[in-house]
Amino acid sequence: MALIYSFIVLLLASYINADKETLVLLDNLAIRETHSIFFKSLTERGYSLVFKPVDDSNLVLAKYGQYLYKNLVIFSPSVEEFGGSLSVEAITKFVDDGGNILIAGSINSGDVLREITAECGFEVDEEGAAVIDHLNYDVLDQGKHTIIVADTANLIDAPMIVGAKKTSPFLFRGTGLIADKENPLVLEVLTASSTAYSYKPDSPIEEYPHAVGKNTVLIAALQARNNARVVVSGSLDFFSDEFFSSPVEKALGGQKYPKSGNQDLSDSLTKWVFKEEGVLRVGKVSHHKAGEKDAPQYYTIMENMVYEIEIEKLSKDKWVPFDAKDIQLEFVRIDPFVRTVLKSGADGVFRTEFKIPDVYGVYQLKVDYTRVGYTFLNSATQVSVRPLEHTQYERFIVSAYPYYASAFSMMGGVFLFSILFLHYRTTEETKKKSE
Amino acid sequence: MTASLTTVVTKFYEEYAKTTPSKLKLIDAYLFYILLTGVVQFLYCCLVGTFPFNSFLSGFISCVGSFVLAACLRLQVNPENKGQFEKISPERAFADFIFAHVVLHLTVMNFIG
Repeated sequence: MALIYSFIVLLLASYINADKETLVLLDNLAIRETHSIFFKSLTERGYSLVFKPVDDSNLVLAKYGQYLYKNLVIFSPSVEEFGGSLSVEAITKFVDDGGNILIAGSINSGDVLREITAECGFEVDEEGAAVIDHLNYDVLDQGKHTIIVADTANLIDAPMIVGAKKTSPFLFRGTGLIADKENPLVLEVLTASSTAYSYKPDSPIEEYPHAVGKNTVLIAALQARNNARVVVSGSLDFFSDEFFSSPVEKALGGQKYPKSGNQDLSDSLTKWVFKEEGVLRVGKVSHHKAGEKDAPQYYTIMENMVYEIEIEKLSKDKWVPFDAKDIQLEFVRIDPFVRTVLKSGADGVFRTEFKIPDVYGVYQLKVDYTRVGYTFLNSATQVSVRPLEHTQYERFIVSAYPYYASAFSMMGGVFLFSILFLHYRTTEETKKKSE
Repeated sequence: MTASLTTVVTKFYEEYAKTTPSKLKLIDAYLFYILLTGVVQFLYCCLVGTFPFNSFLSGFISCVGSFVLAACLRLQVNPENKGQFEKISPERAFADFIFAHVVLHLTVMNFIG
């Protein structure tokens, strides 16, 4: 009996933690030691990390059609081939099914990594290429100017992704990324400064570098249409203990910061990518006529309609009321006929009242809220709007009285005319009759 | 020019007064009354706009309909057209006229709002 109870408890525990199951793929297990602060902070936030070498022959993401992990950390830049059943296709499918991935590259990024990132809308520069900045390198640098200092000004303006405003700049040593400008889902989280470029540090520059200036993306992010999130950093060292705890000072003069902003930024990034931050959901949606409480079977044109939608935000594993001033409602029949701002109430219920247009048909009440850093919010409710009933039209309108008068005069006219027409006798006829 | 026009008009009027049967003159007076009502309504609509459009339509259409029916009656009772309407007696023509009026006014009342 006790065994069964403990089994049930274990099942429940595993169910509750399903969102926190994380697989960490490493080039070698030494990375676990060199990046211990990063992994420790994840464990402290409740993630259960499973460390596996990337060439482990027993690697599986899914078993019996169920994913074993919700999140994937790929800290193995130089991987040539995955072990077990893992492959680029399996990882792409993992994202398609809603899984989140954090990927770190390095100067020696392998082809497999390049393929995965290409699927997500980024390109990793050639093998051996590093981001070089001859003006913004750190004092730690050995002379190749590859340990660069990324300013906080180059960070994306999205508090959901990068957290509160950072004070210290970031240390970065790795390869440059090129984001697909055509892809609207890709976000450039951290870019290099305008004096940076990405090239092999030891060879003379013979061709134009792939990424120059601000086009060199250091950290890029993607939120897929199914709300799966991917963050790619060009630098594995970005997450290392060494960079987390190192002071930052630009070699060519500049302020000295006692601690780099890396840990701070990495905390915010992992919170976003593993869906602790910026997750919205739609609760109850209701609509009714102004002054009533229940949704009617249909609406009539020109009526006032009240629409309410409950939106919640995930905060510290709890759903709390969301607050925003820019959520819009559209009343759509092929084209939007009404577009109005929803006002937020105290309990996360957004409300608006509007007049249904003088056009009948089948409409949809649509809320489509897309903001950088938040999951895509979509809600559509169908209602039908019918024309006025025959008895609902206005009657005895003053300006129509002449028309009424003329219609009745036509009736009276035909009556009078009939009497005259029937009783009229021409003089000859009267003569005939009297004879 | 004006002189010839006045001669034409006076000639026409004299001919009309002399040769037209008085029963047809009665119908013509009725037609003229309908025409006036229709014109007044149209001018009123131009002045105040088309707002109760259904009312305007039914009022105006009742005039147009009455005019058409009266014109038809005039054709059928005219002794000169006897050859064309051999099977239709003036009484039958009048009965048709009344029946068509009943239908017309029912429709107009339904639509006038």
